[in-house]
Amino acid sequence: MKNVLAVFIVLATGLFVVLAWFQSGGGERRQMRSASTPEQAARFLLSEIQDRNFERAYEQLANRSDVDKKTFIREFNGSDGSLLTYASLETFDVWGLRTDAQEASVRARLHYTTAVGPLDDVRDIKLERRGETWKVLWPVNPTPKLPPQVIPVNYLRWDVINPRDGDDWGVQSVDSPQVRIISMNAISRPDSVVLVGEVVNEDSVPAYVNVGATLLDASGAELAQESSFDKISHTLLPKQVSPYRIDFPNLRLERVKKVRMDVKALLESASADPVIEISQQKIETDPLGKQVLSGQLVNESGQVVNIPHVIAAYYDSNGKVIWVSDGYVAQALLPQVPVPFAVDLPAEVAKNVHSYRVVVNHFNTTAQT
Amino acid sequence: MKPGFPILLVMVASLSAWAAEMHAPAQVTAGTSLAIATNGSGRGTFYLIGPAKVSKRDIQMGSQISVDADELERAGRYLAILCASDGCTATNFSVIAAAPNRLSLLVHPSRVPVAMSNGITTVAFVFDNFRNLVLKSAPVEFTILPKDGSELRATRQSEHGVAWVTMTSARKEGITRIGASVGHASEVRVVQQVASDACNLRIKASRVNRELLVETDPVRDCSGNPVPDGTVVSFTMTDMGGKTTVDVPIKRGIAKITMPIKGRARISVASGVVTGNDLEVTGG
Amino acid sequence: MKNQLRSFFIFLTIWVAGLLLLRFSVSAGELPRVELSADNIQPRPIEDLTAKSVPRDYALAWQSMERALEENRSELLDAYWTGLAKDDLASRIKTQIGARLRTRYVDGGHKLEAVFYSPAGDALELKDHVHAQLQILDEDKVVYQEAMIVDYMVLMTPGADRWLVRDLEALSPAKPE
Repeated sequence: MKNVLAVFIVLATGLFVVLAWFQSGGGERRQMRSASTPEQAARFLLSEIQDRNFERAYEQLANRSDVDKKTFIREFNGSDGSLLTYASLETFDVWGLRTDAQEASVRARLHYTTAVGPLDDVRDIKLERRGETWKVLWPVNPTPKLPPQVIPVNYLRWDVINPRDGDDWGVQSVDSPQVRIISMNAISRPDSVVLVGEVVNEDSVPAYVNVGATLLDASGAELAQESSFDKISHTLLPKQVSPYRIDFPNLRLERVKKVRMDVKALLESASADPVIEISQQKIETDPLGKQVLSGQLVNESGQVVNIPHVIAAYYDSNGKVIWVSDGYVAQALLPQVPVPFAVDLPAEVAKNVHSYRVVVNHFNTTAQT
Repeated sequence: MKPGFPILLVMVASLSAWAAEMHAPAQVTAGTSLAIATNGSGRGTFYLIGPAKVSKRDIQMGSQISVDADELERAGRYLAILCASDGCTATNFSVIAAAPNRLSLLVHPSRVPVAMSNGITTVAFVFDNFRNLVLKSAPVEFTILPKDGSELRATRQSEHGVAWVTMTSARKEGITRIGASVGHASEVRVVQQVASDACNLRIKASRVNRELLVETDPVRDCSGNPVPDGTVVSFTMTDMGGKTTVDVPIKRGIAKITMPIKGRARISVASGVVTGNDLEVTGG
Repeated sequence: MKNQLRSFFIFLTIWVAGLLLLRFSVSAGELPRVELSADNIQPRPIEDLTAKSVPRDYALAWQSMERALEENRSELLDAYWTGLAKDDLASRIKTQIGARLRTRYVDGGHKLEAVFYSPAGDALELKDHVHAQLQILDEDKVVYQEAMIVDYMVLMTPGADRWLVRDLEALSPAKPE
């Protein structure tokens, strides 16, 4: 009886181990390791990246001699406090584009979860046949290296001294910055109401700005209240203009009779740097067939920008803001190194876009003084 | 007018007619002591109910109850209640603010564009030494001391404890000191008069190596004041490579940026809602 | 005979007071009635939104004060009181606790008259004509009660999302109407 129990425990444990292995994708990896098709090879590489087995992923590359291992790992693991350092590859899709006897290309959509929400990355991957298996030819993109140098910055910064607790009322105080909403447009979307527009800091000091809105029905009753959340550049330097967008999900525009806007501005310690140039902006169709506004960001200053956030306002031929879209950029901005970006644009909006304007918001994950 | 209240008051008053009596002055000045005369004999309990303090103590009926000055610092309505074995009696009296000796001075805004009509408002609340609002009218003297000018004075009578003035900001940027005084109290605030929006915003371009240096002329407002450093100037360039935009803060009076250029380019400039001139340039 | 007459009169007074209390007062938990008039305000008119929020916030301030003074709980003042007015009430509650006293108001309504609204919108001065029943309780025994009619000078300043009472100063002793 004792032996039966012991055998049962050993068998059950073995069964659980096998089940766990399959559950964790081990079977799939085993199957993919054979990489008899280009898609299988790409999937295998990406599953290793998903498991953060970067060394093993690197071993799958056909052109290891050309690809620096550290650079390869940084592409997925992030660096310089970029958004990818706070992200994990959650899922991916791979589908074939072209296959011939020796070479093939596939398209992969990588879906990351990040500290600021989901992030999608679409890549075209080339592969080559090595005997019976396919191996990934990783693109060789030598990272532009900035020669060591000193970049002089006439550092311009505002600091705020707030009143202390217990200070008397009516003693010297500093007013909140003057900001103004310069445009607002209510847009009906199939499943929501969206308010878009622009806000300007009219003051001579930086402002921390947030735009909120309340929708009212014909009887004056409140339908919904929302704020721009991260679809705005919160820190506005003097005379700086930011687009904003406020989403009201599950609401129809026909029900809305009145909109009450509320813009709040607080004094904020801020720096006039970094200056980020947004170049090569154009509206184009991405590999997935979606309309995007793409371009590249160039950090003109000497400090690293960890997490760039692009916000774009689109105007019709009358100069009215008809849409605002935004997106986080996975890579950090190193000084003077261009980094590409692309933000989505709904197809029905794209056809009415006459011009657009892009601003870059940024978040630093390490304190810089 | 609610008809029930007078009846009630008469009844309450008649009730108190039988109880022990107290005599307090109808009005005293904040921070002064007070003596309340009582009649009767035996022990009693005295209650003093004020806006910021209540107290309760045993007293000898027929003696004077002294209320210390520190119990009467807050202006308002005070209730004195005396309870003896045969019931309670009460009287109320007012404590009024002492002489003006403090000011709360609200000056807005703390930053104001130059030459703004009635752009600065100054409100003075008059308090006594115990921070009671002084409701009796008092002359408040306002002074304005511009950075490079002579002092201006104006006097306003306070009403309900408050006096105010409005003024137009100067045409020249810089700080101005605004003061108010009443009695022994005086307060000063600083208002920063800043340049208004940019006026005649102009850019010029020159070639630096293979890039284009675009810079503004010194950015000034319509009164000729330099627009403060840090103010953002937006450059937009459209060339064969697409559109390039950069928000550049003014440093040392000008904003400048170098941009790569492909073929013919059109460059425009703006600061806030103010737009400047456009440039047509040809690159390499 | 005199003592009997006196007892009868005391009973009658309390009975009538009770009837009046029921007729004119708001029940516990109900917001005091506040009517705002801003016809004579200086130097600028009051905004529509402010004209709606001030009476509401002032009523809530009185409601919280009445509860705080009756229950001797100064934390109830946090929401609608600030500055010296809050300090005064907190100090009064502290001394009430020390003397085992409580103050009970039965609010009969407020007529607010706005007299000054600062150009920057950061201070509002009002006169309040208050009707209320006031009781002073020593432990649970009522040692004094009256129907009070008092004028107050009120200073309100804006907080993050509401108007707060910064100063409350009675102008005159009770006077019958």
